[in-house]
Amino acid sequence: MTGDPAMLQVKDVRKAFSTVVAVDGVSFEVHRGEIFGLLGPNGAGKTTTIRMILNILPPDGGVVTFDGHPFTDQTRNLVGYLPEERGLYRKSRLIDTILYFAELRGMHRGVAKEEAMKWLKRFGLDDQALRKVEELSKGNQQKIQFITAILHDPALVILDEPFSGLDPVNQVLFQDIFDEMKQQGRAVIFSTHQMEQAEKLSDSLCLINQGRMVLGGSVREVKKRYGSNSLHVEFEGDGAFMEGLPGVHRAFLYKNAAELDLTENAGVNDLIAGINAKVAVRKIELREPSLHSIFMQVVGGPSASGATP
Amino acid sequence: MNKILAVARWEYVEKVKSKAFLIGLFLTPIIMVGMGVIPSLLATQEDKTSKSIGVVDGTGQLAVPFAHRMQTRYMLSDGRPNYVVMPIEQVPGAPVEESIGEADRRVASGDIEGYCIIRGMGPADTVVEYRTRAVGDFMLGARIEETIRGIIAEKRAQGLGIDPRVLKELQVKLDLRTVKVSKTGEKEDSDFLKVFFSAYVFMMMLFFLIVTSGQVLVRSVLEEKSNRIVEVLVSSCSPTQLMAGKVLGLSALGFTQIGFWALIGVAATAQFGLNIVAPVNALLLIVYFVLGYLFYAAVFIAAGSPLTTEQAAQQVTSYLVMLLVIPIVLALPAMKNPDATWIKVLTFIPLLTPTMMALRIPIQMPQVWEIVLTIFIMIVSIYFGMVAAGRIFRVGILMTGKAPRLAEILRWIKTG
Repeated sequence: MTGDPAMLQVKDVRKAFSTVVAVDGVSFEVHRGEIFGLLGPNGAGKTTTIRMILNILPPDGGVVTFDGHPFTDQTRNLVGYLPEERGLYRKSRLIDTILYFAELRGMHRGVAKEEAMKWLKRFGLDDQALRKVEELSKGNQQKIQFITAILHDPALVILDEPFSGLDPVNQVLFQDIFDEMKQQGRAVIFSTHQMEQAEKLSDSLCLINQGRMVLGGSVREVKKRYGSNSLHVEFEGDGAFMEGLPGVHRAFLYKNAAELDLTENAGVNDLIAGINAKVAVRKIELREPSLHSIFMQVVGGPSASGATP
Repeated sequence: MNKILAVARWEYVEKVKSKAFLIGLFLTPIIMVGMGVIPSLLATQEDKTSKSIGVVDGTGQLAVPFAHRMQTRYMLSDGRPNYVVMPIEQVPGAPVEESIGEADRRVASGDIEGYCIIRGMGPADTVVEYRTRAVGDFMLGARIEETIRGIIAEKRAQGLGIDPRVLKELQVKLDLRTVKVSKTGEKEDSDFLKVFFSAYVFMMMLFFLIVTSGQVLVRSVLEEKSNRIVEVLVSSCSPTQLMAGKVLGLSALGFTQIGFWALIGVAATAQFGLNIVAPVNALLLIVYFVLGYLFYAAVFIAAGSPLTTEQAAQQVTSYLVMLLVIPIVLALPAMKNPDATWIKVLTFIPLLTPTMMALRIPIQMPQVWEIVLTIFIMIVSIYFGMVAAGRIFRVGILMTGKAPRLAEILRWIKTG
């Protein structure tokens, strides 16, 4: 993954709208066969970044290159895009809509039709190809939009909040397709504010907050750099004492459960023994740091506002 | 190029299938014919059955000769008299007002078509009142006027000792025929209705075409903006391709409409033996049609793409429609005086050129230099219009929320 040159390079892009700086110096690389998570809370600048990558908005500064070249008309056929706000032509038929978008990405109509039917079938919508978009449920419309983003075999697919509004079954379906695309050597960028999703799916990530890049790199690196291990305990009794145990950096206490962020050189065995001595432990587990806790630590925590590493 | 065609095809096929298009396709000619033809047809239509008319005669001298003349002079096509004059009950010497109530009732009940009240004969003027429910029957009005005038004239002649035959000799009947002489010196039969009708039809066609497709254009851009399809579109093809495709597709749509209407027109022409326009005129009109259409497409794109709400779109389109209405308002004065300088000046304003030409060509062929110059002006305007529209479109289609100010839009045009 690190050997070959990056397919997409985003270097120090900036964008300001009249009074607000939406994106301020974001840089990252995406390689072929990589699933890349663009993370950040709402309003962080994810969508603006995506728009700049896709040449929908010209950046005020910085450059975006595809295999070392700037965006051209040829690039348009190599990318696929699912915007955050879902929208299709409501009065048009599914199949016509899909074919139109495929043609716009330079696909031959006949080929597009065959492919479209394959995908519709996979999503269980092949019997509805001739129905109008407005007759479909929101979730199904999202599937159609997803198909339009990937039908033309793009080398790079950019999906803005692809999972919002999807039921768990279809989330799994989308994830399977992500994996397939990864196997085929395509690059997938998806944005999300849900850290669990990002953690499960992405190989690399870039975390944006208030237009600034807060952290980035492969998921493993990020975890190693910013996270500490944590101890998850389920127990019966009063757990208030855990906060004061040696090696506990921060504790989140719930009723009959606790999450303890550990300092780097905490003595895990001593800690477990200490807990065991005071409460009846049902389950105890040492975990790697979750992206969520890293996110909270870097962005949402009490000391987070100026916590750019 | 393929992408332009894909956009054009989409715009065309999706709109052709829409209900709005189909309704417009059939409704517009019906409205046009309805407004332009039916009233004049009805006004000049011959009666099929006899009409009963009453007379309330305050002079006691006019009722009898009036009845006689009305019943013998005007005949229906089947030989029966066109009018039957019924006397209204009247006490001799009593004022006419006493009979009016009864007469009005008979008009209201439909017993008689209407009735004349002759209150008296003045030394100079005589006022005759004709009361009816159908005040629009101009032909009957004219006939009553002519008949009573004749009777009074004869009575006066008698009083002056003039032989009624001399009076007949003195009456001059004049039939004025207007003949249009074309540029090449040939004469052409012309009558007001025909010229008015053809000028009017062409203007209305252009008007409806531009208005409907302009609205379609603005609405489609607005739809794409509001649901953000436009982001996918401009990441798939360049804004220039998108705009070109839209113009192409909607032009095809417009000309489908016109073609269909022209077909109806040709059929109607053959059916009723009308010869509305000479082929050369038709060709020229089509040229102005195409030019006008393209120019207005640029105007609608420029005006429509920065808009963000349906209300704003409606406002802007209605302003543009007002511009198009100007020549329609000017149709009558222009017809009276096609050489007026101000008419000529208006022809050179690109926004008005096509409709003004549609108006002028059937009335009086403009001079060659005028035609060449206006076509040139149109082509130049279309070029610059499209360039400016493209620049506005590129930025405007991505605008959401607050609509940009005019100064901002002008800056987009300048910076390109």
